[in-house]
Amino acid sequence: MALVSLRDVDFAYDERPVLRRISFDLQAGDFVGIVGPNGSGKSTLIDLIDGLQHPTAGEVLVDDVPTRKIRRRHMAREVALVPQHFTLDFDLSVREVVEMGAYCRGKDADACADAELTLTRLGVPELAGRRFTELSGGEKQLVVLAQALMQKAKLLLLDEPASALDVSHQLRLFDLLKELNGEGLSVLCILHDLNLAIHYFDKLLVLSEGEVAAYGPPDEVLRPEIVEAVYGVRAYLHKHAGRTYLTFSPRLRGDRLGRVHLVCGGGTGAGLMRELVDAGYDVSAGALNALDTDEETGSELGLSMAVEAPFSPVGDEAHAQNLALMRSADVVMVTAVPVSHGNARNIEAVLEAAAAGTPVWAVRGVLDEDFTGVTGKLEPAGVELFADDAGMLAALGERAPEARAARKTGAGHSGPPALKT
Amino acid sequence: MTRLARTSVWPGIAVSAGVFVACLLVALAFGPASLSLGEVWHFVTAGPVQGDLPNAIFWQIRLPRVLVACLVGAELAVAGVILQDLFLNPLTDPYVTGVSSGAALGATIGIVLHLSNLPWTTVLALIGGFLTLGIVWMAARRRGRIDIFVLLLAGVTISYLASAVVTVLMIRANQDMYAIVYWLMGSFSGRGWQDVVIALVAVPFMIAPLFFVREMDILLQGEKRALELGVEVERTKRVLLVTAGVLTAIAVSVSGIIGFVGLVVPHIVRLLVGPGHRSLLPVSLLLGASLMGIADLLSRTVIAPNEIPVGVVTTFVGAPLFVYLLRRGRKG
Repeated sequence: MALVSLRDVDFAYDERPVLRRISFDLQAGDFVGIVGPNGSGKSTLIDLIDGLQHPTAGEVLVDDVPTRKIRRRHMAREVALVPQHFTLDFDLSVREVVEMGAYCRGKDADACADAELTLTRLGVPELAGRRFTELSGGEKQLVVLAQALMQKAKLLLLDEPASALDVSHQLRLFDLLKELNGEGLSVLCILHDLNLAIHYFDKLLVLSEGEVAAYGPPDEVLRPEIVEAVYGVRAYLHKHAGRTYLTFSPRLRGDRLGRVHLVCGGGTGAGLMRELVDAGYDVSAGALNALDTDEETGSELGLSMAVEAPFSPVGDEAHAQNLALMRSADVVMVTAVPVSHGNARNIEAVLEAAAAGTPVWAVRGVLDEDFTGVTGKLEPAGVELFADDAGMLAALGERAPEARAARKTGAGHSGPPALKT
Repeated sequence: MTRLARTSVWPGIAVSAGVFVACLLVALAFGPASLSLGEVWHFVTAGPVQGDLPNAIFWQIRLPRVLVACLVGAELAVAGVILQDLFLNPLTDPYVTGVSSGAALGATIGIVLHLSNLPWTTVLALIGGFLTLGIVWMAARRRGRIDIFVLLLAGVTISYLASAVVTVLMIRANQDMYAIVYWLMGSFSGRGWQDVVIALVAVPFMIAPLFFVREMDILLQGEKRALELGVEVERTKRVLLVTAGVLTAIAVSVSGIIGFVGLVVPHIVRLLVGPGHRSLLPVSLLLGASLMGIADLLSRTVIAPNEIPVGVVTTFVGAPLFVYLLRRGRKG
């Protein structure tokens, strides 16, 4: 028997639909996080489970009973809720506030002692005698959690419980929730931090525009393509110290300013890659050796790249690929990468692109560490030289408005936005 | 430890009960004909005696008057606590629900129609008060819920409407203007045992909120949080709003509109014992009774044999205190 089960639930405030066709079960002992963009209906969903709102269609069952038929006091013994916002302007002591949580248990002589125990468990026993109105935002959040724990309910619903907590209290809170879960408490928690969601929760429910976009283990649910579809930002998975992390760039899908091709290597291009991606450019790179720092960053960011085997000179295939990428680029940029016989072909490719009319920009530093002499041909070929990366980005930024204007008037709609001059 | 926390309510109640007894005795002893405490004790134990003038003054005039004053003070204070905490608004007093204006309209009609003497005026005031409560209630009902803010707005609107009608009646019947104005200002002059009986009807309504102290504490966090913690919010609100309305209607119908007690007493008591209702309610009840007893004593003694309307006395005491509270800021 499911502890909570939602069957085809629709919900609307007045005429505005908030949730549509929500169906999922929560089993006793589940440890589930809810994620989703602002306004996707997360808070409404937990209000429905707590019976504070009733579905406009479908059913919400707690212990197989429709929430509509459950009296508030009984519900409070089944389900406790930690709200996102909490106001209390009256001068009550923290102990009194925490004890209120025991209301649903009726006349319970242990309530007073429990209040102290609960605060101790949260690591803040010293708050018991303080006045609630004098607490900081984070302390209040912990006190309200203590109040909810006093209900001794089977299921704990939390609405962004970590939003006012510093990093140490955040981790402590989620560790505590995990511990309580181990003792049999079921937890359903709304949170915004997707990395905390990945690390702590057994299952995640992703809400998007009032519908369940995904429900399952975090590594299945928080794949970059799902995050992109739900949040409209680019997401990248990184592995670090045995854990998976997500990073994001604010580029909205479809908002592409133009194509930039990078010639880099050895970590000289990683920073530029990230900045260009975040600024909204479609970035490619090459040719790079596999396992090179720039190659790893590029693959985490999902760039198209011309790649050669590790520690090998650029071969024919990678060179051809590199040329193809350059041909479709609006600008080719060369970082201060050391040039040796292994990657000299990249400079030759750049010269070819310049000859074909593609703007090529280079950081002056590339001339300094050249063991082949090939970079000497850059300036005569019409390559524009810049003092550093920032100089190139600034020049690119100056061109961007032109590109946008061109797109608005429809000039660039048939192909990549025109950065070409 | 548990016991300690639960019993800590009693010292506050004991002290305020002591204050109340002292005020009651002082109010009974002083007046145009002053008595010693011994004489008060003597009259109380002897009971009403035929043909004994001082005894008759005590039993027929002073005792009922003092009892009505104390009961009205207690009723207004309890209604004030309930409404301030339901509205979560420290500026609320029992008169915002419009019940008092409805009662005033009823009383004015009684006076204008010369239905003679207090019983009819009182009864019409009661009817006016309850009718207003009903109208405001209907206005605030939406999908089976009472919307507290609509209730507040409806109450204020009805207040203005009833006051406008009272003004029209006053102008139309200018020979009764004095009686109407005097009633509106509020007074305990000439109140007898029939008024005590009416005021006593309110006693169950003063006791009822004591069974809701935990719910009232929890409601300080707002209605949504109270629902989450398991309070049947609508039922609690219904009981408490009707209770406050009945208390106000009864108080106003026997005494007229006496300001500041229902507003200021709850604030003073919060400063003394805190916002927890386990002490706030009983202490407000006792101190409301004490304050009104003393205010009435001042009203009938300061410029004897004339009387200052008791509303003026409570306002003189209440206004400076209220301004002081406003300057402290909205803290509850």
